[in-house]
Amino acid sequence: MQKYKTYAAGYLFLLPWLIGFFLLYLIPFVASFYLSFTNYDLLTAPKWAGLANFKTMFTDDYRLGGSIRVTFQYVFISLPLRLSFALGLAVLLNQGMRFLGLYRTIYYIPSLLGGSVAISVLWKQVFDKEGIFNQGLALLGINGPNWIADPRYAVYSLVGLSVWQFGAVMIIFLAGLKQIPHELYEAATVDGAGPVRKFARITMPLLTPVIFFNLTITLIQSFQTFTKAFIISGGTGGPINSTLLYSLYLYIKGFTFMEMGYASAMAWLLLVIVAAFTGLLFLSSRYWVYYSDGRD
Amino acid sequence: MMNKKAVAVCMLASMMMLAACGGTNSANKPESDASQPSESASSTTPSSGKTVELRMSWWGSDARHEKTLKAIELFEKKNPGIKITGEYSGFDGYFDKLNTQLAAGNAPDLIQMGGNIKEYVDKNSLLDLTPYVGKTLNVSDFNEGVVKAATFNGKYYGVTLGVSSFGLLYNASMFEKAGVPLPTEKWTYDDYKTAAVQISQKLGKGFYGSYDLSSEPAALGSYLHSVGKELYRDGDRHFDKQDMINWFTMWEDMRKAGAVTPPDTQVANPPTAVDKSLIVKGQVAIQSAAASQIYGFQELTKDKLGLTTYPNGSAGTGMAPPESGQFMTVYSKTEHPEEAAKFIDFMVNDPDAGAILGSDRGVPASSKIRDQLAAQSTPVDKVLYDYISLVSKVAPETDNHQFPLDNEFSKLLQLTSEKIAFDANSIDKSVDEFMTEVDKLLAKAKTQ
Repeated sequence: MQKYKTYAAGYLFLLPWLIGFFLLYLIPFVASFYLSFTNYDLLTAPKWAGLANFKTMFTDDYRLGGSIRVTFQYVFISLPLRLSFALGLAVLLNQGMRFLGLYRTIYYIPSLLGGSVAISVLWKQVFDKEGIFNQGLALLGINGPNWIADPRYAVYSLVGLSVWQFGAVMIIFLAGLKQIPHELYEAATVDGAGPVRKFARITMPLLTPVIFFNLTITLIQSFQTFTKAFIISGGTGGPINSTLLYSLYLYIKGFTFMEMGYASAMAWLLLVIVAAFTGLLFLSSRYWVYYSDGRD
Repeated sequence: MMNKKAVAVCMLASMMMLAACGGTNSANKPESDASQPSESASSTTPSSGKTVELRMSWWGSDARHEKTLKAIELFEKKNPGIKITGEYSGFDGYFDKLNTQLAAGNAPDLIQMGGNIKEYVDKNSLLDLTPYVGKTLNVSDFNEGVVKAATFNGKYYGVTLGVSSFGLLYNASMFEKAGVPLPTEKWTYDDYKTAAVQISQKLGKGFYGSYDLSSEPAALGSYLHSVGKELYRDGDRHFDKQDMINWFTMWEDMRKAGAVTPPDTQVANPPTAVDKSLIVKGQVAIQSAAASQIYGFQELTKDKLGLTTYPNGSAGTGMAPPESGQFMTVYSKTEHPEEAAKFIDFMVNDPDAGAILGSDRGVPASSKIRDQLAAQSTPVDKVLYDYISLVSKVAPETDNHQFPLDNEFSKLLQLTSEKIAFDANSIDKSVDEFMTEVDKLLAKAKTQ
């Protein structure tokens, strides 16, 4: 009886999470799998369509290819930039300066505000033709373009926004750096190693598990980026679909064009793409990730 | 100026009156609330014994939000048993949100609809209002046409909130500053170009004669009419590739002549968003708009705004007769259809509501309200009324057919226009892609 009571309390505390898990994850997950094989306009009952959605996706959707291309562009430019930026700052902050906590907080703020609408709106103003960014460029005598409204540059304003929100990644790097035993550096100093050598031979190898973690998490997040593109393009993905990130296109299909079946099929393609890249990362990790506890 | 002041004074007076009423009302409330909520409710509506709560959604400018909220307030005062909550926003995202709510089964009881009303009728989302007509809902002062516009298969689905028409919205002050004569209904596309170029040149860098209208479905529709073609009728398009090439070439010429806004400026300041439009900032002189939108635009600028028809082509005017721009509809799953119908009736027939709402959603459908408004019209009312009667006069007797899958069509036209304007693709290639996709849309519409 006592035992039962203990369990009951446990389950009771778990209940909010369980309800959330079923209602917000598991049921939609299964439903979207079913819906991806139907034509569903949100208002009338879904009609079975077999593989038609997938066939359309691969053969007859003039926006999809472009949307995937833009997403790859965004992911593979922003990912290394964001990680190296975060790592660089984390190393600097790890030098044991004064007001470290304050700096950490300041750098973390953009990430706290995260994918929020307010930040995207702000960003839109910063990169406007007459925005602060171009005003800065003007001081250097450069006449900046209309970053967000020009299809050649629009995706880079998204990249910029993503890099700027490096805080969460940086905090994890910082924690990783703190884990590296100080004796190693001392020994290296005795052996006459300079800072560059120490970084390359001690910091980097010991940090690989953290890098791997950040890489995986950021990769998955980047593929799912939505809010930035939605706000900056006013929900259109324009101009000329240059900010039509995959998630945004999926949203437009589902909620603007009311093709929820098709949108579900797109969601499953995204899952496959993300899974493939994550899988590749894991496969490659055995060659470059080093665990100091003796595991290989 | 004097007139504007007079309007302001009237508005102020009416606001004070409303505030005063509100004051007495709220003064009464606390005691009844304090005693017992159920009791206070039953005292207001003895029949049902409960306050009926309705939700209503609409899109529009701030000016419209204020007017609509004020009308709701007045209705609640006159019908103490009914409470209405407004869910309002700009046009962007309005239908996305509505679609989600419909899918979830919790759409607002009262829904503002546009020309796409039939799509929602087909999906059984809207309530047939026929049973309420002549009882709760009076449409006897309406023209037959506006009732017909929302009647499908003999059932009546939406009450017209106003008759309007798309056309050119222009900043008259900019024309005057540039010394260019104002546009008229006799304008050809050549005149349009000449005037736009002159304005751009006279006013200098950062000022443009016109927005690039090549991405505007309404402007394109009018152009096709004006060369003897049609965007859509009875399941098919009635234009060919060459028409589209002519259309985009015309705008390309204007762009090269410096008559219209460069594409990046246009994307950053879309004319569809009232507060972003460069018309109100006095930097662009002409854009395309639904005529009734002039209220929202005029609210944001001291410049004088005007309305005229789209230019003429080789076959004369391309204008379609004014039509119901917006409808008030009722959600098919509403629990309070009677009260919803009552509110709609209030919106379109009550003289006080008419005075508050004015012509913000177009010229009111009820002749009585129209007469009442005409007697106390503001300068902006006059611009709108003159425009609507002008279009009624010049437009031939055709009924306008909305392109099916309108939303997707607009996005496609926008994309094509951007490809050309940003020089990402040649006109010929862009139009080829456009035609392919249009035909796919038509095929898809047929299967639905």
